[in-house]
Amino acid sequence: MRLLVVEDYEPLARSLVQGLREAAYAVDVTGDGAAALELARANAYDALVLDLMVPKVDGLSILRQVRASGSSAGVLIITARDQVPDRVGALDLGADDYLIKPFAFEELLARLRAVIRRRYGAAENLVRIGDLELDGAARTVRRAGRAIALSAREFALLEYLALRRGQIVTRTEIWEHVYDFAAEPSSNVVDVYVGYLRRKLGDGEGGAARLIQTHRGLGYALDAPGAA
Amino acid sequence: MKGSLRFRLAVSVVAVVAAALFALSLVLHALFARALVRQFDARLLGDAVAIAGMAEEDAHAPEFEAESLPEFERRVRPAYFEAWLADGRVLARSPSLNGADLALSAPDAGADVVLPDGRAGRVVHVRQPLRIEDEPTPRVSKQLVTVAVARGTEEVADTLASVRLWMLALALLTLLGASAAAIVAVSLGLRSTRALAAEIAELDATRLDRALETRGLPDEIVPVVAKINELLARVRESLAREKRFTADVSHELRTPLAALRTTLDVTASRERSPAEYRAAIDQVNVVAQQMQALCENLLSLARLDAGPVAVRPTEVALRALVQSCWGLYEGRARARGLAFENQLDTDACMATDPDQLRVVVSNLLSNATAYTAPGGTIRVRGTADRFEVHDSGPPIPPEILPHIFERFFRGDAMRSDGIHCGIGLALVRGVADVLGLRVTAENTNDGGVAFTVSLR
Repeated sequence: MRLLVVEDYEPLARSLVQGLREAAYAVDVTGDGAAALELARANAYDALVLDLMVPKVDGLSILRQVRASGSSAGVLIITARDQVPDRVGALDLGADDYLIKPFAFEELLARLRAVIRRRYGAAENLVRIGDLELDGAARTVRRAGRAIALSAREFALLEYLALRRGQIVTRTEIWEHVYDFAAEPSSNVVDVYVGYLRRKLGDGEGGAARLIQTHRGLGYALDAPGAA
Repeated sequence: MKGSLRFRLAVSVVAVVAAALFALSLVLHALFARALVRQFDARLLGDAVAIAGMAEEDAHAPEFEAESLPEFERRVRPAYFEAWLADGRVLARSPSLNGADLALSAPDAGADVVLPDGRAGRVVHVRQPLRIEDEPTPRVSKQLVTVAVARGTEEVADTLASVRLWMLALALLTLLGASAAAIVAVSLGLRSTRALAAEIAELDATRLDRALETRGLPDEIVPVVAKINELLARVRESLAREKRFTADVSHELRTPLAALRTTLDVTASRERSPAEYRAAIDQVNVVAQQMQALCENLLSLARLDAGPVAVRPTEVALRALVQSCWGLYEGRARARGLAFENQLDTDACMATDPDQLRVVVSNLLSNATAYTAPGGTIRVRGTADRFEVHDSGPPIPPEILPHIFERFFRGDAMRSDGIHCGIGLALVRGVADVLGLRVTAENTNDGGVAFTVSLR
């Protein structure tokens, strides 16, 4: 999942980015409202983590313009403003959730999961596809009851495919939602990671069903065999 | 109740009315008594004239033809008369006198007297010539007869007593009526003040948003209420300011707190290498120092607000003071690639309070460190009465330049590092005012910003 963090207090922004990347999110960050608007226009973020008081363009204006441009990205407001009218105003402008500083980082993660889940129309964090079980909250993956250890990037890839189960997901989409600007762009990085993932899942090996299908020239799709 | 205006006014009105009634009664009583006595004396005089008419001269010998006068003969509460000739011989006396003498009063006027039977009475006398009988035309003799008549004044006393009773009853009734009227009048008159008192009683910190009604109040109270309204407005203003201040303070403290918590939460979420822990500790340290500076500034601001600040002026060597203040920001400036030049003369001395001046200089340097574009230069230069903290910019947008010394003004645009907005410079101005220094900010021709501190 790809996030944009808009926060102008540098120590907070740095820790947020570190924690979110470690939680398998692809994260871009800016401390500047105008830059945030540019980034939000140019990229398909799954969610924005938005501070209301940022220089140049304030958070509420960013929110308004993002929504006006038709973006359905989840928006989680983080702010020191704790008054009810502030919260109501932000939610009415199209924010999905509102978190008051200071907050527990775990809570931020949980709310972010909920925001993104809603965006993909899922009701719970646990996704079952065939004999594959993916727990978005605990960030664990099981195949046929056996726990599988994935790297953050691999987990993010699997989670994105799972949230869009049954759909063909293009390489570009994967690139946009799983990688941030910190990642080195390369032509086959998505294919390489899908390869890693298949190997770790034992996909289509030793009698296990093949869950990740390759659609040549189009992309990949994750689904239980026979479901389509 | 006893101390209420209503009670006091009513009591004083009643007291005045009572005193007036008492005085009026005294005067009326005296007038009435005098009239009664005069009337009584006139009757006595009439009696005396009639009795004197009974004395006549017959063949040059005076004689008294006593007619039956039952009043002067009865034994119980009788009247008295006595008639004398000019030579002092008693011509006649009433049987009631039993041979005693009556005192004389001044002619034609009455006098109080004690009657022979011990009763209080009045006596009058007349003196007139004797009548001469047996003449075809009545003549008067040359001999004079003096007749004194006395009577008990019980009737007068009785009348006066009943008059007094009536007057007392009337006075009491009047007093009651006047008291009731006074209480009602005072209550009516003070009704507006009671409404005012109720209005004031309803005031508390949450309901200061309206002024007290002055319409319909007595003229004497209007200035008082106007003054109260003025004070209320001031309280309202200062409460609003305080509320804003608290909200701003909480905002300024929440952001670095969020950074602390997030850094700690993220760091503690898994095992890390010593280098990662090191980085987290450094970051927490930086945030903690910023929060400390913020708290100190907030405290200084609160102290400025609380009242007079002690100023102990001495000769302050500016260069050394600036250098020691810079120590706090050197690290941050280096991290941002900023150069620093202290161009003040070693012997430049300003007569002011060194601790307070340190607050001014520190905050100006902190501001310059935070806002100067990376790679820039901060210079402190000037003389003993006027020095400036100059940075290489970017300049402050002209629209916010007039506001940067305002408390909790958030200079948006490029001059924001997310913390201590609107406290440092507000403190600078506040402390400078206390020290009698002028602080101004301007964009310089070279694209930089100069904060100038000068003696007024």
